[in-house]
Amino acid sequence: MATTNNNLLLQTNDLKTWFEIKKWGFLHVGHVRAVDGINITLDRGESVSLVGESGCGKSSLAKTIMGIHQPTEGELIFEGNNIAAQDEESMRQYKSEIGFVQQDPYGALPPFMSIQRILEEPMIVNGIKDKNKRLKRIHEVMQELKMTPVEDFLKKYPHMLSGGQQQRIVIARSLVLNPKLIMADEPVSMLDASVRVEILELIKKIQSERELAVIYITHDLSTVRYFSERIWVMYGGKIVEQSPVRDLLKEPAHPYTRALLEAISEPDADNIHSFKKVPPGEPPSLLNPPRGCRFHPRCEHKIEGLCDQEIPPDFEVGNERITACWLFKDEEEVGDVAI
Amino acid sequence: MANKAKTAGKKQEKDKAIDEKTKNVLDIRDMQLYFQTGKGIVQAVDKVSFALERGKSMVIVGESGCGKTSLGRAILRLLPENVYKYEGSCLLNGVDIMEYKNEKFRKEIRWKRAALVPQSSMNSLNPVLKVSDQVAEPILIHDLAETKEEARDKAAEAFKKVGVPVDFLDRYPFELSGGMRQRVAIATSLVTDPDFIILDEPTSALDMLTQANIMNVLTRLKEEIDISFILITHDVSTSSEIADMAAIMYAGQIVEFTDAYTFFGTPLHPYSERLMASVPTLEADDEELGFIPGQPPSLINPPEGCRFAERCEEEMELCSEEPPTFEMDDGRTVKCWLYREGGERDGNNK
Repeated sequence: MATTNNNLLLQTNDLKTWFEIKKWGFLHVGHVRAVDGINITLDRGESVSLVGESGCGKSSLAKTIMGIHQPTEGELIFEGNNIAAQDEESMRQYKSEIGFVQQDPYGALPPFMSIQRILEEPMIVNGIKDKNKRLKRIHEVMQELKMTPVEDFLKKYPHMLSGGQQQRIVIARSLVLNPKLIMADEPVSMLDASVRVEILELIKKIQSERELAVIYITHDLSTVRYFSERIWVMYGGKIVEQSPVRDLLKEPAHPYTRALLEAISEPDADNIHSFKKVPPGEPPSLLNPPRGCRFHPRCEHKIEGLCDQEIPPDFEVGNERITACWLFKDEEEVGDVAI
Repeated sequence: MANKAKTAGKKQEKDKAIDEKTKNVLDIRDMQLYFQTGKGIVQAVDKVSFALERGKSMVIVGESGCGKTSLGRAILRLLPENVYKYEGSCLLNGVDIMEYKNEKFRKEIRWKRAALVPQSSMNSLNPVLKVSDQVAEPILIHDLAETKEEARDKAAEAFKKVGVPVDFLDRYPFELSGGMRQRVAIATSLVTDPDFIILDEPTSALDMLTQANIMNVLTRLKEEIDISFILITHDVSTSSEIADMAAIMYAGQIVEFTDAYTFFGTPLHPYSERLMASVPTLEADDEELGFIPGQPPSLINPPEGCRFAERCEEEMELCSEEPPTFEMDDGRTVKCWLYREGGERDGNNK
């Protein structure tokens, strides 16, 4: 399924990552279908948000894309190569193309390493032997992140920095290898509100200057608008809606997306008089997901005999918008390839 | 007969007098809590004063390290060992509980009159005890029930209040989801029927839908039973769901204390203004989010004057002196020199 889009950086075709559960270490119990048939595309320099609740498989999807988990089935195509089928050496090369910004800067920076050592580490692992070259790269990145004077920072240890500065170091570390894609897993959820925006703006600035692709993983829909052009909403191991952010916020298509938007609190004094509308029940177990649409047990628009029987395919509901919901069965069905 | 009516009338009058006196469920004056550490003395809570009316709820908003959790713990006297200074007055229903001896405080106040749902309490349930035993524990410790069965019935009642199915009583914590465990933690604080509950970051570790669920539970509780919540959080948006009053804390001090209704529209203190501007919203169109450059001062040697001065855009000479708390015409209080003229902000500086 070759595509003519030259700008395409990453594409997945029916990507699945299942984890086997064993009893007593050898009896097969079943599979946790953390990533279950994902079709997404990502252009160069594009910023996309991946939104979902904990346990929906968004971190598993991120780790599969980063090459940490081996996909069980399906294709993961990066710059035209199927990564799933590659050997170790090219895998290492591939991993260096992706920078990872972890959620918790306190946990992500080893406390016994100086900042210089932390920033050098990825380059040492990837065989840049010339120390001056490494230092030059570090200086470039640090200046880009406005962490000056650089020398002062390099000698410090993580505990000497504030939360915001630590997160900048994590970002710097993800950038030293000049990656093409940054995977930012809840990069600001551990930070205070006043610092949060600063870090988001920083990632945004780097993204546009370097023409980096960014996948921003979050469960906070309200920050998405400031950050991304497109959004993927994930539920129960599947992507239920893909859309440009603005359209989605204005007019969510999938009932789950609607529920998410309704649950968000705005700082408004009138809230005190109202209750939030929340769908009953809880997200499904991925060990034994419900038949048909995975949201149907909680959905108020459920169509008996259809939603609880058959898995909804992707329907096109607007310009560059697709959703996997039977409510839109009159719309055009999208083929195997995502737009 | 007439005599009886007379005494009843007197009793009513007396009740009214008590009501008048104890209009505030909680009245804190000049609360100070300092800690001794290797690096020096940390002024975690520094001369904090506020009053909370009966049946109202409030939120204490602040960034991490501003002392909001310490304030919550100071009210309930749940203190670590390195306390350097613990002073002030704390009137609960008009009685100063700061004078109580520790043992008396434990027996009569903590949990009986005021309960705490600590941060991430949903993860600190005992994994080897059934949740019913954990919810019933405060009842048994405070002798509020005669038999275990009675305690269990009370636990079941609390479960109903927070919306946990009663057949969950015999489950173990690992069998419950995060949202359910958080509800159980709230139930544990409800069983003794306290006057107020302090909730420390009750929703920060939860998903959006679960967050909304928990806030719904709190809103409903507020309507159904006569109880006050003190919400400690950094999340301004969710706190707007239940807060009648808002206290903004910065570097160990309350810089603004207002009713929530006016606060969300027009915050007064420059810090609250900037804080509100940095909250992302869904509806607003394209306007840039603000952030506050710099970081809060260390509480070991806080600056002499206004503690926000070095990050403040409207800093002036006066700010090198500590501002007093000014009261506006509408009762809001703010600790900022800009309001020294009363209700309106000083024109020269805006």
